[in-house]
Amino acid sequence: MEIIKVESVTKIYNTGAIAVKALDSVSLGINKGEFLVIAGESGSGKTTLLNIIGTLDNPNSGKIYLENNDISRYSKDELSDLRLNKLGFIFQAYNLIPVLTAIENIEFSMMLLGIPESVRRKKALEIMNDLGIDELANKKPNQMSGGQQQRVAVARAIVNDPLIVLADEPTANLDSKTGENLLDLMEKMNKEKNITFVFSSHDNKVINRASRLIMLKDGQIINN
Amino acid sequence: MIFRIAVRNLFRNKRRTLIVLTSVIAGTIAIILNDSVGNGMVKQMLENQINLHTAYIQIHNKGFSDEKSVDRYIKNQEYIDSLLSSNSDIKFYSKRIITFGLLNSANSSSGVNIIGIEPEKEQFVTFIKRSLLEGNYPQTGKRDILIGKKMSEKLEVEVGDKVVAVSNTLDGTVKSELFRVCGIYQAGSSEFENTNVYIPIDFADSFIEMNRGVHEYAIITESLDDVDKTQSSLINQLGSDYELLNYRELLPLLVSYVDVYRKTVIVFYTIIGLAVFFGIVNTMLMSVMERIQEFGVLMSIGMKTKEIFKMVILESFVIGIVGTIIGFVIGNIIYSYFHYNGIDLRAFSESLHSLGINAIIYPSLNLQLVINSLLVMPVTSVLGAIYPALKATKLMPTDAMRYV
Ligand SMILES: Nc1ncnc2c1ncn2[C@@H]1O[C@H](COP(=O)(O)OP(=O)(O)OP(=O)(O)O)[C@@H](O)[C@H]1O
Ligand SMILES: [Mg+2]
Repeated sequence: MEIIKVESVTKIYNTGAIAVKALDSVSLGINKGEFLVIAGESGSGKTTLLNIIGTLDNPNSGKIYLENNDISRYSKDELSDLRLNKLGFIFQAYNLIPVLTAIENIEFSMMLLGIPESVRRKKALEIMNDLGIDELANKKPNQMSGGQQQRVAVARAIVNDPLIVLADEPTANLDSKTGENLLDLMEKMNKEKNITFVFSSHDNKVINRASRLIMLKDGQIINN
Repeated sequence: MIFRIAVRNLFRNKRRTLIVLTSVIAGTIAIILNDSVGNGMVKQMLENQINLHTAYIQIHNKGFSDEKSVDRYIKNQEYIDSLLSSNSDIKFYSKRIITFGLLNSANSSSGVNIIGIEPEKEQFVTFIKRSLLEGNYPQTGKRDILIGKKMSEKLEVEVGDKVVAVSNTLDGTVKSELFRVCGIYQAGSSEFENTNVYIPIDFADSFIEMNRGVHEYAIITESLDDVDKTQSSLINQLGSDYELLNYRELLPLLVSYVDVYRKTVIVFYTIIGLAVFFGIVNTMLMSVMERIQEFGVLMSIGMKTKEIFKMVILESFVIGIVGTIIGFVIGNIIYSYFHYNGIDLRAFSESLHSLGINAIIYPSLNLQLVINSLLVMPVTSVLGAIYPALKATKLMPTDAMRYV
């Protein structure tokens, strides 16, 4: 079942005199349960594509369908709700909220959904248990290693049972072993919970695990 | 949880938070002290005037306050006396003869209000007896005259000296009479000391040949709150031959001055508010710019821009509230000290004296001022956070995240 459809999306950045075509009529479908990797050299448009799929940025032309809904019609608040309910994000720089503990970071989106404190605490503990990071619960981001922070970020991304998790070079800042562990974790979630993952990466560890690989070059898909 | 994030964000840069907090505390203290001193001052001015001479209610013959001519005297004193002594809200009253005249000493002369008082009764109605600086209070049956300190300096007379008063009698002839300065009083205001002199009413009666007529009843009710009630009941009983005025009607200038003064506190709030306002704008802006990337993350998780807006406002509001509470407590401790002990402004007493303000000021707060002092800073803190909060919400999440 196709949950996301990207239809001839073009994104142009205008910086001063030069216009950069970061994405050039990209079309793509993503199915439920995929472990999809978007690869390509630096500057090929991976982050741009992920951000547009994640509704964090608008294309100049083309359409994105999420479960057959054209999201270009959505208002800012509707997009926020969509991200809250259907999307999970993992960033290269971990990006946890520094003033919150690990468990509070994980609870945060449940709080935005209005889930009562006791319920969300229980669910956050469950997921931390699943990912084997329960001992991090009360640590602040600056008290954790990069790998630990990224595990918490994974927990945060999947805690609301999203339709899809978008991960932009999640292993780039991790050493090789920690990166593999993190990928194990995400693969497990993909298999056990049937959560769809879309990665951007030029890391072979990631590419090797892909259920499907998409190569980007100069904003165009060169294989599919 | 938003509250928790807001509070923790405040602890992130403790020094910065402390600086803003201090400015809010200082602002609140400044408001409390300024308001209470100002209020205490104008209250004193009004009370001085009421206690010194005006009393709470005055009765005159109709038209007397328009033109204070001696022939507009009160005819039916027995009736008024019986009304006043049977009214249980009235504490004290006394009668006065009032004429304008000239007072001459060996060296100088001055225009004066000559006020004939019933010495035994007047001492309960006004402070004049308690305001004696030297000498004695006028006595019935004597050629006594009580003059103000300024007047004594102007006429260059001392207690025991002779002065000559000149005035019109009731039938219009000019008459002069010799008096002896029995005492010198000091009032809060030099203007007052320069215009009013007191003589015993029986002597005033024979001086200007009033034939037992009087011009004024000065009345004190049990409390200031009874004034309006007593005034209207007396108006009902006395009818339109008399004019009955309360202290507000008798001192319109002073009362409006008090009102104007109370309104000028707005100017003060604005100045203090603006100073703190810019501090808050500046600090919140710094704090927001440092966290733009974080806001991007929050937005990507699904936080709405209005929730981010609220969070930034809340951070500032927390400072506003905490600072106000601390400032309010400190301000009130300082205030209570001065409320009981007074602020000694004797160094400036010359200029204060001419305004009718005492040299020692007792700050005084009322409910309105307390409410104001609790509102100004929290409101300022919210207003100051609006622009930074808008700034935080203006960006697309990707723009926000790219900031670092
Ligand atoms: N905000 C921006 N303003 C201007 N140009 C941009 C902006 N973001 C990206 N670009 C340009 O668009 C192109 C695609 O960038 P993008 O970040 O999507 O590449 P990427 O594949 O993610 O690269 P990397 O592997 O280095 O992360 C690049 O040429 C980049 O310089
Ligand atoms: Mg990238």
